[in-house]
Amino acid sequence: MTSNKFNYPDKEGFFGEFGGKFVPETLMYALEELENTYSKLKDDKDFIKEFYSDLSAFVGRPSPLYFAQRLTDKYKSGNIWLKREDLNHTGAHKINNTVGQILLAKHMGKKRIIAETGAGQHGVATATVAARLGLECHIYMGSEDVRRQSLNVYRIKLLGAQVHAVDSGSATLKDALNEAMRDWVSNIDDTYYIIGSVTGPHPYPMIVRDFNSVVGQEVIKQSNDLFNKMPDAIVACVGGGSNAMGIFYPFIEVQETRLIGVEAGGKGVSTGEHAAPLNDGTPGVLHGARSYLMQDEAGQVKDTKSVSAGLDYPGVGPEHSWLKDIGRAEYVAVSDDNALKAFHVVTELEGIMPALETAHAFAYLEPLMKELDSSANVVINVSGRGDKDINTVAEIDGIEF
Amino acid sequence: MNRLTSTLSNLKANNQKALVAYLVAGDPDMDSTLDLMHIFVESGVDVIEIGVPFTDPIAEGPTIQRAHDRALKNNISLKMILSLVDEFRKSNKETPIVLMGYLNTFISHIDLVQATGKDGIDSILVVDIPGELNLETYGISNPNINTISLISPTTKENRVELISKNSTGFIYYVNLRGVTGSSNLNISEIENNISRIKKYTDLPTLAGFGIKTTEDAKTLAKFSDGIIIGSSIVEMINDSSTTKEFGRIGQYIMDMKVAIS
Repeated sequence: MTSNKFNYPDKEGFFGEFGGKFVPETLMYALEELENTYSKLKDDKDFIKEFYSDLSAFVGRPSPLYFAQRLTDKYKSGNIWLKREDLNHTGAHKINNTVGQILLAKHMGKKRIIAETGAGQHGVATATVAARLGLECHIYMGSEDVRRQSLNVYRIKLLGAQVHAVDSGSATLKDALNEAMRDWVSNIDDTYYIIGSVTGPHPYPMIVRDFNSVVGQEVIKQSNDLFNKMPDAIVACVGGGSNAMGIFYPFIEVQETRLIGVEAGGKGVSTGEHAAPLNDGTPGVLHGARSYLMQDEAGQVKDTKSVSAGLDYPGVGPEHSWLKDIGRAEYVAVSDDNALKAFHVVTELEGIMPALETAHAFAYLEPLMKELDSSANVVINVSGRGDKDINTVAEIDGIEF
Repeated sequence: MNRLTSTLSNLKANNQKALVAYLVAGDPDMDSTLDLMHIFVESGVDVIEIGVPFTDPIAEGPTIQRAHDRALKNNISLKMILSLVDEFRKSNKETPIVLMGYLNTFISHIDLVQATGKDGIDSILVVDIPGELNLETYGISNPNINTISLISPTTKENRVELISKNSTGFIYYVNLRGVTGSSNLNISEIENNISRIKKYTDLPTLAGFGIKTTEDAKTLAKFSDGIIIGSSIVEMINDSSTTKEFGRIGQYIMDMKVAIS
């Protein structure tokens, strides 16, 4: 399924010095079981066929690479292309990974599915594939996120899954992950944990990346078809980093393409109130992997701040940390205010309402397009649609329904 | 010989079982923790296990999670815990002390851990590293400190062997599939697994997680080298966090000691 000479992780699950398997002993056997299953299936013709057939008929792939005429006109310095992951079934890139992982769960004979979610998109995507296979499904979500993503909470419930609001810690994505891990430890024999990003212990960062790298593979083909060369830059938002990793991975060896990950700058990186570990963090161990992390000097994980629930996470996938350190990808941050501005601009100019997560990637066009010449082609990964964020945006704009 | 190793081998030589008691440093405050450590010893505890608070303790159930949160509100750090141990050692040089916590707090304080002398902590138990790895992998190679590894009901035979070879203090057998403070011990499974561990190592194997009653303690002591009690003590500490009257905890520990004798 992979087509790339950057064959990381190594067999211990490391991308350079990042990644690994830092979990309680009880989980080791489940990770081994998953690793063995995946290494058997990933090159299995029938498995690949089933995965791609689901991506086509259930998800609606391939997603278009769409020329954004009015955004291009606005910046007057290059062509802007949108990779339309927002058009996928359930409205975001998250479904690519869940479609793949539920097949693994099925092959492993697991009857019970659990997942964590921040913005709710992964929760929806997991509940969707679980419903399709008739599997029991439990979604862990920080109580703060339950509040700000109430639409997705209801969608998850409609799909027959149970939502567990998590009150501990900062009551956001990281705490939902903690609780999902605790569930997994307690129900290890019959439960499959569908992690929603390129985070967590090995083999998850690899598996999630591989399933989601269909996005980057399509962009290579579409770029050739539409503008006959590789893009000059690809821009994607980074929380845990799965949409970015999915589009970056097939491009790692395409040296002419700049890979730009945009983290949540919150109130500004200099204020410390943000969710941008690659910009303002240090290596540490959280949720099973060593990666850049927002932590204090005592090794305690800091609370994060972002208008976007999906980016509100103090860690990041280990492969991003590695790409940062080897200089293959650039990681920048965009503030809440600029992301909100971009949300409105893109909605008004293109008739496409991006998720607040995705709006961070759009906001980075402002500085980026000034650096590029008029023949440059820039691809934005439109990781998800913004319907789920209407309440948040309305609240900020002072609108009551 | 390390204080922990000699304590456990003395117990074994006298055909006695080890009683390990857990608390979270700084819950409800550091003075109480110091008092409680002395109460533990006076009540018959053989080894003190100090939980190092962490923001994301994924192996803990709600009781110990909340204790971590309370301690973090007091800004308890590993540095402060090592000072607490120094204070304790002024009047107690005999009782072994194990720090139990998560990798990130230990690797953030490698220099301090490396600098710890003979009269400090005796062992570190990192909950979130695979059992076949030891502290040296992470830059901790202090001869005064040994490594305790966990083996769980889901650990496969080949890894039981690897982990047993790698442990130095004792083997911590996790009684159940779950977090700390869970219930429903499967006694026959525990017995089978501990005897499986004993095929590979002469190290003492202690049973922890889910032990609440003197009955549990008595049963498990029959086929283990000792037991570890955590959540039930932490619960009692919380109940007494305002009155600071910890007498009930002393009584509970004495009852446990009798049960395993």
